Amino acid sequence: MSRLIRSRFPNWINNWINRRIPRADVQVLTQRNLFILPTAAGVVFGLLLLIMLLTGINYQNSLIYLVTFLLGAVFVGAMHQTHRNLSGLELTLVQAGEGFAGDDVIFRLRVAAGKDDAIALTLSGDEREVPVAHVPAGQSADVSLPVPSVFRGYLRPDRIRIETRFPFGLLKAWTWMRPVASAVVFPRPIVAPEAISAVDDGEQTASSRSPEGNDHAELRPWRDGDMSQRVMWKRFARSGQMVVADWEADKGSPHWLDFNAFAGTDHELRLGYLSWLVLERSKSGARFGLNLPGQVIDPDSGPAHATRCLRALAVWGEEKPRDTSAAQHGSRKRADIHKPEEATLGAQL
Amino acid sequence: MSFLSRSNDEADNQSKSLPSRALLWLIASFALLMTPQLDRLPLWLIFTCVALAGWRWLAQQGRVRLPGRWLRTGIMLVLVAVYLVRVQGSFTVDTAASFFVLTVGLKWLETRTARDFYVLFYILVYLATVNFLFHQEIHWALVNMSAIALLLIGLQVLNAPELPGGMKAGWRRLGVMLLKVLPVVVLLFVFFPRMEPLWSVPLVSGQARTGISDTMRPGDISSLAQSSERAFRVTFGGPMPAYRNRYWRGLILDTLDDGTWRQGTNAPFRSPGRVNIDGGVGELQPREYDVLMEPTDQRWAFALEGSVAVSDNVIKESDDLFRFRRPADSSIRYRLARGGAAAPANATLGPGEADRYLQLPPTGNRKARALAADLKRSNNDIGVIRTLLNRFREQPYYYTLRPPKMPNDGIDSLLFDEKRGFCAHYAGATTFVLRAAGIPARVVVGYQGGESGAGDEYLIVRQYDAHAWVEAWIEGRGWIRVDPTAAIAPDRIESGLRDAVADEGSFLENSWGSAQKYGDVAIIQWASLQLDRINYQWQRWVVGYQGQSQLNLMSRLPGGFGMRELGYFTAGIVGAALLIAGLFSALQMRWGLSRGRYQRVLGAWYQLCVRAGVPVRHGETPAALAARLAVAEPVVADSARLFARMINSHYYRPQTTPQSPQDDAEDLKRLRRLLVTMKRQLHRARKKRPGMLRPNPYSGKHSD
Repeated sequence: MSRLIRSRFPNWINNWINRRIPRADVQVLTQRNLFILPTAAGVVFGLLLLIMLLTGINYQNSLIYLVTFLLGAVFVGAMHQTHRNLSGLELTLVQAGEGFAGDDVIFRLRVAAGKDDAIALTLSGDEREVPVAHVPAGQSADVSLPVPSVFRGYLRPDRIRIETRFPFGLLKAWTWMRPVASAVVFPRPIVAPEAISAVDDGEQTASSRSPEGNDHAELRPWRDGDMSQRVMWKRFARSGQMVVADWEADKGSPHWLDFNAFAGTDHELRLGYLSWLVLERSKSGARFGLNLPGQVIDPDSGPAHATRCLRALAVWGEEKPRDTSAAQHGSRKRADIHKPEEATLGAQL
Repeated sequence: MSFLSRSNDEADNQSKSLPSRALLWLIASFALLMTPQLDRLPLWLIFTCVALAGWRWLAQQGRVRLPGRWLRTGIMLVLVAVYLVRVQGSFTVDTAASFFVLTVGLKWLETRTARDFYVLFYILVYLATVNFLFHQEIHWALVNMSAIALLLIGLQVLNAPELPGGMKAGWRRLGVMLLKVLPVVVLLFVFFPRMEPLWSVPLVSGQARTGISDTMRPGDISSLAQSSERAFRVTFGGPMPAYRNRYWRGLILDTLDDGTWRQGTNAPFRSPGRVNIDGGVGELQPREYDVLMEPTDQRWAFALEGSVAVSDNVIKESDDLFRFRRPADSSIRYRLARGGAAAPANATLGPGEADRYLQLPPTGNRKARALAADLKRSNNDIGVIRTLLNRFREQPYYYTLRPPKMPNDGIDSLLFDEKRGFCAHYAGATTFVLRAAGIPARVVVGYQGGESGAGDEYLIVRQYDAHAWVEAWIEGRGWIRVDPTAAIAPDRIESGLRDAVADEGSFLENSWGSAQKYGDVAIIQWASLQLDRINYQWQRWVVGYQGQSQLNLMSRLPGGFGMRELGYFTAGIVGAALLIAGLFSALQMRWGLSRGRYQRVLGAWYQLCVRAGVPVRHGETPAALAARLAVAEPVVADSARLFARMINSHYYRPQTTPQSPQDDAEDLKRLRRLLVTMKRQLHRARKKRPGMLRPNPYSGKHSD
């Protein structure tokens, strides 16, 4: 929607709106920031009134005059009513959610009606509409607004629109909220190449993994690049084979997820791999650390740790969106960005 | 702006979600709007509309499916074909209106989306408008207005289907809104300049209306006597004339042809003027009277003998008759004055005219001719008339609503055999005899009588008051009225048809629903008259409020309002109404806005802090703010802390110890005093540091 707005409004109108509606997570709707215009239905209604007036004039019919004036006055009354539906309402961004790129990120908003009932509201973000049925005067309701995300990083809809057309749909009153808080969008998980090879190695790997996810070490032949600590030297002494133990879920051995492990691949792609790895590790309850350029997260386990790692991946190299002039976040138009396509993977998460 | 595209996108969703209740209101409104049209719509069309709307409703219930595109087109083509066959090329307002109704009916089949709903809404609103062209009585106005109210309720339901409080809340909201806008509507109605029609519009209905016609066969008027519909209503400036003098002349029939009286010379063609129902304004002068006539689709106006035209919309023509400038296709008001005896009687009848009023068929009714010759031999002209009337009075002639059939030589059998007839029979026979006796004579058709409305304020003349009588030309005296009915049934002329046929019991014998039939039941009579009075006032003052009456009303206001001033004034009303509404909501915002008095005080304090250079952070507690303020402006430190503590103690007071209103008021007073103190302290502190720059007051309330 906001992109539509961008193309629809000339720049100066946009600037004017932005000046009128400063960024805030709490917005009380007043005359200052409420807009009201007739809908297309309202415009046609106006034309109808004009035709009715012409009929009244030509047939010199007082009653047609009367009904025309009555409907015209109802139109103005509806303007008042539509405006009152929204005025005094307080819109609060309670929580900007988190999610993986390509998914809908939930923004939780609270709508608290003022002195008047707020009837038939619609919240809309980027191309999504959420009807909020009815908030009686003095009460509040929570609404979840899904905002589609495309890229990892901070996601902040430029404008969240709240609109009402009640009572007759002839007029619409609306305002935008320009939130300060932004959601964090994790990189879309992409199956890491190392892991793929591990799966290729043997069918039994999956079954050999115990449900508890510890103790069982995975044994495989030595490859170039394996750390010498992990070679099972005792076994080597017995059989002369270099066997490496893959400590899948051994709490005792910290496993580092390293940004630099995927040499030669695109940064965003690496983040995708790491995201997948973080999910894999946390699923099996493994202990792992994350090594990003400029940021190191010490090994730990548990969901909180996983989230922390994902956040770090999400915002790596990203500036927290600050103010009005900034470009829209969450919709960077970088040409070289690898667009995640593994929809099936994301769906399982 | 996104209305059209939105409904396109959501067409599929909305077909399921078009709320049933909204549709129900729409259908109810349609049914209500059909009722004023019922008498003019063809029966097949009514059934078709009921069927189509019923189909739509069943589809909404999920019992049947809406027709697909091909079936829909087929139904449309068939119905339009039926319509065209039925109409047979005659284009009148009636056929146009029925076509309009047909389109509404067809639209039901494709009401799937919110947009279709709005289209139907527009059409139905216009249908209500069209209804006003045909019916302007107060009850029809109420029906139309209720239908529009139903439509508005339907729109509300469409826009908020799951509204708690349901219909009651919806009606209340609509009612409150209507009450609020009513003053503006009334002002606009009074002051909106009533312009001349922009172009001339025909409103000629093909519908046959009840009323007198321009031909008279002997049975015609007695069938009219079975109708209690209103013909017109009259208000007199002075006293009402006596019953027997209430002869309302409409038209003159001067040619007898095959037993039928008709107008000999066609009325001169005059192109119809624009709609103009201005019927004179101002107080009625003593001799003036004001007629509000129901639509007849004819140009005849009814007038007492010897009247002159006062309002512009009637013209006096030859033979003392009045004609409208255009057929009376809607109810029409006009004003005349009784001229008294001043009517100039031209002394002689031109030769052409004499021939015209002596015309008789060459043969037939030999006995009547013999009677005429007999009378002529022994009397002068006046004597002939007198003798003839005496004959009616003395011989057993009867006035009856059930006359026998007299197919051959009707006048002979009436005068000599049957001796039973209605006013039309006797008027025709009298004219025949007078003409046979060489006296120029003519049949006059109109109404005679009329009952007083409620409060004796005005006269109601109904169709059963229709009457026919005779005028004869007497050399030296001009046209004189000869009413054979007065000789046969004096009751008819003295007190009306009801008394005249009381013995026979034939008064309105076939109209069971008519209130007039039960005229002897006091309560029915009373209710009927009161209803009529309301309608009469409605028609005179609301429906008839048009150009001249508006200007007349305005001219009584100081300042001499003309059309242009009215225009300015109207614009002023609209502007003022909008301004007041705006101001009202602004004030509501400012003072209402869910803010208590504490919040207002708090708001004032925030402003003060901002001015002191301490912008309020979002979510900051009063205590924290006071601490920061104290750092920035040490002079107000104590007051600020106290203020914050009081605010805290108000908002975080335990629920168990409610504070009395008096304490509340005390606290508020102290808070306000503290505010003033702080302001003064700040002011003083600033004076001491004149070099200091004033902090930017626009550093927003919620710093990012």
